[in-house]
Amino acid sequence: MITGRYFFPNSARTVAARAEKTASQLRIEAFDGALLAEAPFATVKITARLASLPRRLLLPDGGCFETPDNDGVDAMIGMARHLIGGGWMDRVERSWRAVVISIVLAAAAGAAFGIWGLPWAARSLAASTPEWLANSISEHALQTFDKNYLLASHLDGAQQQRAQSLFDRVVTAGGCGTHHCTLLFRRGGILIQANAFALPDGEIVLTDQLTDLVKADDELEGVFAHEMGHVVYAHALQRVYQASLLPAAIAVVTGDVSQVSQIAVLLPGILIQSAYSRGFENQADLYAITTLRRMRARPAAMADLLERLEKTHCGAGSCGPSWIGDHPDTASRAKLMRGAH
Amino acid sequence: MLQDDATAHPFEFHGRGGEYFRIWIVNLALSIITLGIFSAWAKVRTKRYFNGSTFVAGHNFDYHASGYRILIGRVIALTLLLGYQLSVVFFKPLVLVWVIVGLFVVPWLIISSIRFNARNTSYRNVRFNFSAADMEAFVAYIVWPIVGFCTFGLLWPLAQQKKDYFYVNNHNYGGRYFEANFSVWRMYTIFAIALGLMIVFLVVIVAILVPLVPLILHKGNAGVAAAGHLLGLIFVVPFYIAMGMIAPLIHTMIVNLVTSATVFDEKHRLQSTMSPFMMAWIMVSNALLTIITLGLFYPWAKVRAARYQLEHTTLFITGDAESYVSEVFETQSAVGEEIGSFFSFDFGL
Repeated sequence: MITGRYFFPNSARTVAARAEKTASQLRIEAFDGALLAEAPFATVKITARLASLPRRLLLPDGGCFETPDNDGVDAMIGMARHLIGGGWMDRVERSWRAVVISIVLAAAAGAAFGIWGLPWAARSLAASTPEWLANSISEHALQTFDKNYLLASHLDGAQQQRAQSLFDRVVTAGGCGTHHCTLLFRRGGILIQANAFALPDGEIVLTDQLTDLVKADDELEGVFAHEMGHVVYAHALQRVYQASLLPAAIAVVTGDVSQVSQIAVLLPGILIQSAYSRGFENQADLYAITTLRRMRARPAAMADLLERLEKTHCGAGSCGPSWIGDHPDTASRAKLMRGAH
Repeated sequence: MLQDDATAHPFEFHGRGGEYFRIWIVNLALSIITLGIFSAWAKVRTKRYFNGSTFVAGHNFDYHASGYRILIGRVIALTLLLGYQLSVVFFKPLVLVWVIVGLFVVPWLIISSIRFNARNTSYRNVRFNFSAADMEAFVAYIVWPIVGFCTFGLLWPLAQQKKDYFYVNNHNYGGRYFEANFSVWRMYTIFAIALGLMIVFLVVIVAILVPLVPLILHKGNAGVAAAGHLLGLIFVVPFYIAMGMIAPLIHTMIVNLVTSATVFDEKHRLQSTMSPFMMAWIMVSNALLTIITLGLFYPWAKVRAARYQLEHTTLFITGDAESYVSEVFETQSAVGEEIGSFFSFDFGL
């Protein structure tokens, strides 16, 4: 016998009542013993147990018996409770062991996705991206850069020719693999100072400010070899895919696109992205070292340039902790290059 | 008409963070194992928990959707999205077709989602319902926002009012309708406040930036670089905090306005008295705590926001509540229910 309240068929009207299972019937009666409703137990739908919420027994005629007595209802269902509406879910949610396993599993899955899943997906998508799409992305990106951050180059013809011949030397040494690399000259605006960057279609942009810093030919060769590494590994495309896959994956798994989850994902998203970016830089550095060695150039020259670059950018101190930056810290990059003879 | 003998029935929220945490983490793990498929059923359990923990006048709400239908809705939505993405990549002229189709499909998707949620929500054994013509959704969700946009935001509050009217006035419970009615100037006031806040925010940013100008001018290259780093920090961090604050501020003011202007069955009234600043603080601190705890705080965050909102919502019932509800009946016929729910899915809109 369980107590609760009874709702008349399809009505919000309610009276205090008690329910009892007799043989195969469910009998609901008022406290004075008057019969309110009766139905074969097999036709009654029982809502699944969930935390300590009241349970509802839905009768086929639209009537409903509601009770806070969850254990009473479970006892009434007896052996059938495995079968009726997700009773197993409640037992899993109630078990500490399942909760702990779930935390570990969610954390492990999240970490595995971040470390292997997402980079793998971005890599295979980048590898199967058609050339015309890469070209159109590059064209669009270059337009945006030209409009907002870059100015026309001030270098004279001789300076440009010298850089171009060094560039061609690296390409001839196989620096660009089977890709088609071209060199573009620009002057950096206020937000882009001494810098060089690669676009997905093999265009490599060199700013005047970086050229001004260069003291030896093999420094510039190092810069080109590094950027060609980004082209060969399709890092720019991988970045695009990483940036769009991360929020999509979170939305698919959690089914939640609310404000809280969007804001909460923002900062970790930036940190994860910069970690990926540091991985790319490291890969491009290693690639550049191999190329330079093949050309019998000095990888250490690249280290000299990097240190000079850091001094102009960040003064005497360093640029800040490496775990937020999108490049590994200069000291360890320089060490890698100097060790590579 | 509203009468003076109305009794106040405050909403209560009985959910607890610790209790929801177990439900959330177990469902999250199951969703991961099943590559997202289980998340449809997880959503049902979550909605049931939140509806079931919401009480007013001694009764709670319930949610009846089947995870299976939510899954179908998601598959349809995902297919549409994928079709759109693929045509962007492989055949650009097709995008125009998609835009035109979208103009007509989106209103249907919106109506379908709202109706799905209404029909699957019940209170005291009687379900809510939502009935609107596709055209109304088209006007509320496509035409008015375009008008608002084309008038440089001047008519945006009016568009917001139309959208809220569409949502509230097409909802019914036991065949009795909700009706929202408020002066559009009150919506203009909210947007004016939001604009004022954004201006204050910009002024503060400029005030911080002006002292940096000499630094940029005098220190040459290094100065520019240093200023660049500072600029990044000064702009990005407060920008996100301010945007994180302003959005819930506006949202809360709108919810207060619309809820308090809503009358049910011409005699019962709703009221919402949330403090916009408190709600904005809850949202921002929830997001920060969720980040710091690597997501573990998320269930407490959701419970905290729901509790604050519901504990500041009141239902004023005119006359005797019990004798009134005795007259409320389920008006959806079983057949209508089947057809209606066959054509409605939850698209998560």
